[in-house]
Amino acid sequence: MFLTRSEYDRGVNTFSPEGRLFQVEYAIEAIKLGSTAIGICTSEGVVLAVEKRITSPLMEPTTIEKIVEVDKHIGCAVSGLMADSRTMIDRARVECQNHWFVYNENMSVESCAQAVSNLAIQFGDSDDGAAMSRPFGVAILFAGIDEKGPQLYHMDPSGTFVQFDAKAIGSGSEGAQQSLQEVYHRSMTLEEATISALTILKQVMEEKLNSSNVEVMTMTPGNLFHMFTKEQVEEALRNVCPVEHPLALNVSKQRV
Amino acid sequence: MSILAYNGGAMVAMKGENCVSIAADRRFGIQAQTVATNFEKIFEMGPHLYVGLPGLATDTQTVMEKLRFRKNFAMLSHMLYEKRFGPFFVEPVVAGLEPKTYEPFICNMDLIGCINQPKDFVVGGTASAQLYGMCEALWEPNLGPDDLFETTSQALINAFDRDAISGWGATIYIIEKDKVTIKNLKTRMD
Amino acid sequence: MSLAVKPHYPDYSNAPIQRSFNPYADNGGSVVAIAGDDFVIIGADTRLSAGFSIYTREQNKLFQLSPTTVLGCSGCWCDTLTLTRILNSRMQMYQQEHNKIMSTEACAQMLSTMLYYKRFFPYYISNVLVGLDNNGKGCVYSYDPIGHCEKATYRAGGSAGALLQPLLDNQIGQKNMLNVKQESVSQEKALSIIKDVFISAAERDIYTGDSIQIKIITKEGIKEEKFELRKD
Repeated sequence: MFLTRSEYDRGVNTFSPEGRLFQVEYAIEAIKLGSTAIGICTSEGVVLAVEKRITSPLMEPTTIEKIVEVDKHIGCAVSGLMADSRTMIDRARVECQNHWFVYNENMSVESCAQAVSNLAIQFGDSDDGAAMSRPFGVAILFAGIDEKGPQLYHMDPSGTFVQFDAKAIGSGSEGAQQSLQEVYHRSMTLEEATISALTILKQVMEEKLNSSNVEVMTMTPGNLFHMFTKEQVEEALRNVCPVEHPLALNVSKQRV
Repeated sequence: MSILAYNGGAMVAMKGENCVSIAADRRFGIQAQTVATNFEKIFEMGPHLYVGLPGLATDTQTVMEKLRFRKNFAMLSHMLYEKRFGPFFVEPVVAGLEPKTYEPFICNMDLIGCINQPKDFVVGGTASAQLYGMCEALWEPNLGPDDLFETTSQALINAFDRDAISGWGATIYIIEKDKVTIKNLKTRMD
Repeated sequence: MSLAVKPHYPDYSNAPIQRSFNPYADNGGSVVAIAGDDFVIIGADTRLSAGFSIYTREQNKLFQLSPTTVLGCSGCWCDTLTLTRILNSRMQMYQQEHNKIMSTEACAQMLSTMLYYKRFFPYYISNVLVGLDNNGKGCVYSYDPIGHCEKATYRAGGSAGALLQPLLDNQIGQKNMLNVKQESVSQEKALSIIKDVFISAAERDIYTGDSIQIKIITKEGIKEEKFELRKD
């Protein structure tokens, strides 16, 4: 795509003669530099697992927040420009609270993604109140429980959002998505999904997995948003299969 | 707020077969503050004659004293009209049996003595809207003393339960040819 | 003290002229609703009046907002017209935005919010919202003009509200009754009580009368009935 670079990649809302919006495409490219995040949706609930890049031993790992609570029943994993993600998460939170305020019910996951998508496309180079001068450089995984049950949605910088059974975003997403396709099945338990997510994360991460460079969250009908404590992450990591290829997994039998 | 609603109160009288009933709540309050729950608003004026005086409590008692003094009930309406431009703030409810024929008699009047004498029931006090609704549905002709008691008390109690400044107990009089039954009813006290 | 009245000629007065405009009208009307385990019935009289004159004897005051939700309005009729039109459009927008029909509970909260948003220039309406909840149980919500909302199983609102509410307390809430079993009301009993209480209301409230429009909401759908009242 970089071969066709031309003056059309300057205006953020200018189509190229081939009908492309370069800035949006570049934003999607920006995601591929971000840390990897994986989401798996099972009938028991949704699990999100993300890597945190600890670039310095002097860094305080707990201050990197890649999984956040939007409402009790919706959580998000983000990858890309973290600063941009704050704006979008803020919007998601406001929309969820507003929905609760007006309708006294939980916002559905799809509606929440729709609301954030409306923000994602509000970019432009004019002065007439666009939210941003450029597209947001963020991909988001929405994990939530609503009347339709556990749900996982993915949204990219173009504002396109699609429901997934399992989805990976960030730098390791290509390999991780391939692995997800191989391990995912409809009758997966949440525990299996957690172990698979961590196993796949382990394969695509440069660093060795440990309890401070990974975040795990489960979204279940019983406990809703639940962020794993350091101890719970360690416990989950003990169950991660040492085998390199995910196909060799048979987690339920291999559990210690 | 009308001065008639300063102390609150509910009152109802009903005709039955050879009997009449008159009932009132027992609250004495000053606006929203309940001061006493044993305040009588119905007074015996003769062997078969009772008058209830819902409205401003001080006038309830003044009018009652004046009536006692004059011992002439027929003057009540005139007495009220005398004060046409500075009235007593009571809207009397009268219930009794005619002296010779023992015909049931009920009437009420406004604070300047305009008499209303219907065939079924009369109401008064701050819960009068509620009482109209209750009585209109519950009352039927030719009720015996027991049924009249039940009908009157159900009408009164359910009505004043929906009025913040009436209630706190009720007194009911069933007036028959050879006896008058007085009952104090337990009700919710809030 | 002289009793002579000093004549007053407004055209020759230096006092500031005060004009006033009252934006509200009281067009009367009553609404009664009773909910049961698997149904809810709502009735409203069809008289539209102002003071001593009757505008029409056949004004429907029940508005179907969804297949399971109905709103009954009485009070200022022009406010009712506006509120129900906005409500209908909000219901449609919700359906298009969220791909589902708004539940009765959500509608109840939305109505409360909408009323409160006009806290300082309220819709002068006594609202009673009824419907089936997500479990198919009948429910009744009543409102004051500025959005206070109360969930109940029965409610009388509008010009004869004060007359009828104690009657419902007694007949349905079984208040002040001794030795009675608290059991939920049947559809037949609820319907006959609604007709009875409206007959009583029409006797004493001049703003209630002519006839009642009744809607019976069950999971099978909404049935409508009409019942004649006195017309004087």
